[in-house]
Amino acid sequence: MMSPSVARRTIATPVLLGLLLIAFALVAVAVGSKPFNQTVIDIFLKVIFVVGLWVFVGNSGVISFGHIAFACLGGYVAAWTTIKPMMKGMSMPGLPDWLMQTEIPYWGSAMVAAGWAALWALIFGSVLMRLSGIAASIATFAMLAMVNSIYSNWESVTAATSSVVGIPIIRSIWPYLVAALISVFVAWAYGISRHGLALRAARDEPTAAAASGIDIPRARLIAFVISGAIMGMGGALYSHSIGIVTPDTFYLGLTFITLSMLVVGGMGSLSGAVLGVLILSTLIQTLRWLEAGVQLGEITLALPGGVQEIALGAVMILILMFRPAGIMGNKDLSLPQRAALETRGPTGPRT
Amino acid sequence: MGSLLQVLFDALSLGSLYALGALGIALIFGVMRLVNFAHGDVIAACVFALLWPSVDAVAIIFAGNLPWYLLVPFVLAIGAALSVACEALVFRRFRHANPATMMIASFALGFVIRYFLLMLFSSRPKSISLLPALSQPVEILGARIPLLQLITIAVTMAVLFGLTAFLRRTRFGLEMRAAAENFTMARMLGVRANRVIMGAFALSGALAAAIALILGSQTGTANIMMGASVMLMAFIATVIGGMGSLAGAVLAGFLLGAVATVMQVILPPDARAFRDAFVYGAVILVLIFRPQGLLSARGTRERV
Amino acid sequence: MKRLMTALAATTCLTAPALADDERIVVGFATAETGFMQAYDKPAQDAAMIRIAEINAAGGLLGKQIEVVNADTKTDRAEGAKAGLTVIDAGADMVVVSCDYDFGSPAALAAESAGLPSFFLCAESIKAGIQGVGPNSFSASVLAAVQGATMAEWAHNKKGARTFYRLLDTWTEYNKGICDGFDWMLPQLADAKLVGEDTFLNEDASIAAQITRIKALPEEPDAIMLCTMMPGAVSAIKQIRAAGINSMILNGSGVDGSYWLSAVPDLSNFFVPVQGSIYGDDPNPDVTAFNARYKEATGGDPSTQYVYPGYVMIDVWAKAVERAGTTETAAVVAELEKMNAEPTLFGPRTFTSEIHHQNRARYLIVETKAGKPGVVDEWTISEAIPVAELMK
Repeated sequence: MMSPSVARRTIATPVLLGLLLIAFALVAVAVGSKPFNQTVIDIFLKVIFVVGLWVFVGNSGVISFGHIAFACLGGYVAAWTTIKPMMKGMSMPGLPDWLMQTEIPYWGSAMVAAGWAALWALIFGSVLMRLSGIAASIATFAMLAMVNSIYSNWESVTAATSSVVGIPIIRSIWPYLVAALISVFVAWAYGISRHGLALRAARDEPTAAAASGIDIPRARLIAFVISGAIMGMGGALYSHSIGIVTPDTFYLGLTFITLSMLVVGGMGSLSGAVLGVLILSTLIQTLRWLEAGVQLGEITLALPGGVQEIALGAVMILILMFRPAGIMGNKDLSLPQRAALETRGPTGPRT
Repeated sequence: MGSLLQVLFDALSLGSLYALGALGIALIFGVMRLVNFAHGDVIAACVFALLWPSVDAVAIIFAGNLPWYLLVPFVLAIGAALSVACEALVFRRFRHANPATMMIASFALGFVIRYFLLMLFSSRPKSISLLPALSQPVEILGARIPLLQLITIAVTMAVLFGLTAFLRRTRFGLEMRAAAENFTMARMLGVRANRVIMGAFALSGALAAAIALILGSQTGTANIMMGASVMLMAFIATVIGGMGSLAGAVLAGFLLGAVATVMQVILPPDARAFRDAFVYGAVILVLIFRPQGLLSARGTRERV
Repeated sequence: MKRLMTALAATTCLTAPALADDERIVVGFATAETGFMQAYDKPAQDAAMIRIAEINAAGGLLGKQIEVVNADTKTDRAEGAKAGLTVIDAGADMVVVSCDYDFGSPAALAAESAGLPSFFLCAESIKAGIQGVGPNSFSASVLAAVQGATMAEWAHNKKGARTFYRLLDTWTEYNKGICDGFDWMLPQLADAKLVGEDTFLNEDASIAAQITRIKALPEEPDAIMLCTMMPGAVSAIKQIRAAGINSMILNGSGVDGSYWLSAVPDLSNFFVPVQGSIYGDDPNPDVTAFNARYKEATGGDPSTQYVYPGYVMIDVWAKAVERAGTTETAAVVAELEKMNAEPTLFGPRTFTSEIHHQNRARYLIVETKAGKPGVVDEWTISEAIPVAELMK
């Protein structure tokens, strides 16, 4: 599937990104405050979502507005499989009997969620992957809207717009870190696999790629399914991080924030995806901290409410003005002495 | 007969809203390949321009009490000015960026506008009585149609004819059409790019203002999120109409309005809540069979 | 008020981590200070602060001054969980969470797992309590279903309404709750008939198709049960009246307030159930006096009845703490569950070990006539809505 030499040449990227994530986790442990811990959990979840998004968007060049639908599917799998059977009977009486009786641990639900989301990615993808460009984007959005409309109204199986509660809350940071690391390594492995390379070739030179025998819809479908699985896993963990799930959590808000993180970080590279999350999240957190007020000697300085969002939007515009391809451009993090090799590698220059 | 006629008017008036929105998005897409996600927030801003900033529950009317012949131009001017400001301050610097970057930039800009409104007016929806005379029903062939529906349809038709004449008959319109077909070529042939793009933004902003007026008088509310749902539908209409094709955008806008209305009428009560799922399903079907849109503009290259 | 709260918040944040229970009494507000929910949380929280100030002025609770800590949920669920954890870290003995069940539950769940009691400021779903959070969670308001049932029974008994039309906005649980209560009540009313039903979405730009369906009926229904909330409500009401339908419109409390009436000039035949009147004509003069105090503290009149639950919340909680002699969770919850028709400024309140919410309550009926709202009646449903019915 992948040549060992490519793997050796590019392994620095996921390792460096992984170390960065571990550093975040260690900071959270060192600080030891519960809210901060929750903040870092939230960042790891965003890393999972954005990396999942990158697997498809970054490699295929097709902007997807629909990936959060897979997170929604995954989020509800967590509700279906981990809530106590008695509570499930009350909120979601329409579930089939065997599912009603199922009660598995959170990591099991995350895996099932990945599989369930991948299945639907396969079904939707086999129809949608024939489209490209803006038509594909809007079709993925229609997919999100369909999933949202169904999950918002299917009373007996999803409890409609009502929050489903009773999902075991996992407040430990480690499972989220592990999941984020898994997504980074899966995304990297996919990126350097035969399919990932083919898809990127098709992104940059569609005509030439098709002429070289690359089946573009199929290459896209593979990326779609893998990214769907990552989103599904992230969705399930998101449910476990706050203990409730509703369809509108997984709709336009999350879609736009994850896409923004991807584009601001630089959708051309995996490092861009991860750094986009880390940089924007840090920025958001700093602004929130300023908004809550900072004690400077006798006086408390605080930004007026709402400035945080305005500043965030302005900073995003500024970043894109000066770095239209995102903070990382098309480059990946790598060790300095390998940089030269890197540019000739498969993740090398792109337009 | 009466109720059939009513359904027709319902579909036409909803379609008009979507068509006006789609036109606003298609105009800008045509000249600079930008999918403008800030459009919905421009709509909201136009409605809020009628109020004084205040976070109280009761809205303080500012321009909302002007007589209609002053009110309408005022709102249109606000929309056009805001839209041109967006172009001058932000989008101008993204001329050469790729569409994804522009899209996210427009989204970020919309975010800024929305939260700015939120800061000035708070999140509570404000009530305004905009053009109250339009809230009366009129009798046509046994159907009682709200006057506003008729006006909406009439205004949309007028805008469409006016815009067509403008694009066909004036030099500026010609330049704009040329730019929409092939921007680089048009530029080489002496079309002044900045002027054309400015013009497109001004028109698009005025269209947003027209939607704001209709929505404002229909719902009686100024709400931060009010442009969002129209914008989404308009965006979809632009795509299934064929990106860059103005006629296609309008056609698709009316089609979406008709599908949504007809679904509401024919679906059984239990399935009615799933109306949007059916509408979006139809959108996917159209895209599968006509990926280039219903009427695809010549010269529209895939760039996303 | 705001400054007072921030000052308190600042001091308590500095003294974190949590001190022993017996030294301080802290109420933690994990509510929205920004975003969409702020419009709902802020007024109720202001009312809660008024009750806290009253208690503190009268010597405090168990001889101690009540302190307050705040954390902003930003109208976001993930932020809500963080806000809950923040106030718990700051030593809260009771956690107050956002008005809405969906937005409040992450913080309430955090309180529940820390073994602390939580109060929803004004959530009106059965889940805002034992059923959706756990045995230590309460809501200060009245179930949405009670509003729907109240309006149906009152319109039937007092207005002679027989034919009803049900128009549901499927956007939120609150809306569905109103219609559920209506559905439960309707079959119990002699000769009452549902002549039609339809759904819409709060954000729908136009509900013309739904209105066409009402107009297709052989005759106008006596009453339209409109289960919706702001902002879509104004739009729906305006469009119904613009289409020339003059049936009486029955609503939930979500449309209370006169701030939006300018959008539908000369609105008539329009009825809303409220816990207390903001229009200065409440049968209980103490409510009017409270309105004045609210204005003094915040600079504005209450804009809707959703101010009141915040006051009731601190009132019943403080009473329970006083009776238990401690802020210890189990004792306070036990005292709360003993409350049976406990008198409050806004009607009697009952909590049991089965339900931490009001499934029956006295409501004032506000009629809007020619654009002027005023209290015309009061009504308590003939029997409490059974819990089993509410869980359906």
